[in-house]
Amino acid sequence: MLKIDHLTKHYKETVAINDLDFEVMPGVVTGFLGPNGSGKSTTMRIILGLDHPTKGRATIDGKSYENLKSPLHEVGALLDAKAVHPGRTARNHLRALASSNRIKKSRVDEVLEFVGIASVADKKVGGFSLGMSQRLGIAAALLGDPPVLLFDEPVNGLDPEGIRWIREFFGSLAKEGRTVFVSSHLMSEMALTAEQIIVIGRGSLITQGSVDDLTATAQGSVLVRASDVTTLTKALEAQKAIVQVANDRALTVSGLTSDQVGETAFRAGITVYELTPQRASLEEVFMDLTADSVEYGTSMPGAMPRE
Amino acid sequence: MSSNQTLVNVVKSEWIKFRTVRSSVMGVIVFFVLTLGLGGLISWAIRSHWSHSSVSDRLTFDPVSTSLAGIIFAQFAVGVIGVLFITSEYSSGSIRTTLTAVSNRLRLISAKTIVLAVTLIVVSEVVCFATFELGQSIFKGVVPTASLGTLDVLRSVLLAGAYLTLLTIAGFALGLIVRHSAACISIFVSILLIVPIIFAFLPQSWQNSYSKYLPSELGRSMMSPFPPAYHLGAWNASLILLVYVIVVYVVGVILMIRRDA
Repeated sequence: MLKIDHLTKHYKETVAINDLDFEVMPGVVTGFLGPNGSGKSTTMRIILGLDHPTKGRATIDGKSYENLKSPLHEVGALLDAKAVHPGRTARNHLRALASSNRIKKSRVDEVLEFVGIASVADKKVGGFSLGMSQRLGIAAALLGDPPVLLFDEPVNGLDPEGIRWIREFFGSLAKEGRTVFVSSHLMSEMALTAEQIIVIGRGSLITQGSVDDLTATAQGSVLVRASDVTTLTKALEAQKAIVQVANDRALTVSGLTSDQVGETAFRAGITVYELTPQRASLEEVFMDLTADSVEYGTSMPGAMPRE
Repeated sequence: MSSNQTLVNVVKSEWIKFRTVRSSVMGVIVFFVLTLGLGGLISWAIRSHWSHSSVSDRLTFDPVSTSLAGIIFAQFAVGVIGVLFITSEYSSGSIRTTLTAVSNRLRLISAKTIVLAVTLIVVSEVVCFATFELGQSIFKGVVPTASLGTLDVLRSVLLAGAYLTLLTIAGFALGLIVRHSAACISIFVSILLIVPIIFAFLPQSWQNSYSKYLPSELGRSMMSPFPPAYHLGAWNASLILLVYVIVVYVVGVILMIRRDA
């Protein structure tokens, strides 16, 4: 089990992480979400003992990373796929990692085969595409067959086939009872990959829970297509609903259930052609949650500064 | 659960890393070629001009340090080997992968130091004895030669190898502190090449009293059978160079352990 215990990290003046506190349980894929610059990578780096926290600590089964007796057997990590010496071959890179943790040479061939880069194992890593580097990074994480796995933005650079492969792969790792912690800035990706989700923004925890819980708590809306949208809008607004025009014949209504919308239309004598409850997508939930904490947000879609 | 990681495992791993990148292999080859090539060339030039050389030149001629002259150039090659062994990890970012596999930083630095020191002492001693013998065989018959049977000559050649090994470790330690390849190599070259030039502009009495403490002059003392004028004895010089290297090394290790990777 991975435990983040009131973690705070300052880089000179900037606060990268502020009193972050959560646990990641084994047996499920846990998504770690936040906009760019929200502190995901910093958290990962602290878990791996690369950066020293200003306050608090991160532990793996109660131990901090520096105190692991045989790190690759306890935690596997993919941080930055390109963080490999470009002049070394994939096989030699893995062999060096393996021998530092008493892992057999045959295991290197096994993981190369498993991630599908065995055919380029003796090529220099410098010539690898991002997708191939990602696979090499995953191979490195798997070397020690660890019970805890961390992946920072693993789908970057993968082709659709690779993305599907990695999703199924994460699922199977979790089913084996491992702790799988995957960061991403794409909610849509996590909705398909993760069961549990931890959302952070500006270095603080925003929310955590299962994917289903998160979408359930989000406010849904109702799409209604009717004969007289102008009258219907007035009637709905009288009931404190928020009404948006979807197109000339349809409205998106939030703050009321579909039943209430239907009854309101009936009382106003309006014919309803369509009445569809719309569940907020996880993407929308995420946007709502992190709207205040986007560090490099654009002001308005398509609003280019003009001279 | 699998067995615990030991220093031996990490040394094996670092040895694989050392010999599987071109920079270190090329560095060792350049080191060989420079030392033997230049040593041979300079020895040959001395031999062919011996009949024209002055009496004072003949009297002060030292067959040992002349045959080892290539080391003046080779010291930069070994410095670069030491620097790149750690800075390439930072420039490529692979230090983060390395530290996830070896989370005990002191163990990692120890392993890297062992690989570097053992490789370089072996290679350096082989190179130094080879260039010495090459020089003597070129001198033979025309120019006075030296023999390893003389204790001070043997000591000079042995300490020449030690000098190069210490410089490699100094380069590595500097790399731990500076972390950028180019900046680190510049500093290394400046200390060995530029600082002595600056010293040459100082008043003569200062030069006489202080320039002997420069790393490059300590090296000269170490690899001469008798100390040059205004220089320290070989063993004192070795000791002082060792202290310099230890100081830089300790600073490097402390920074490496305390800083974020």
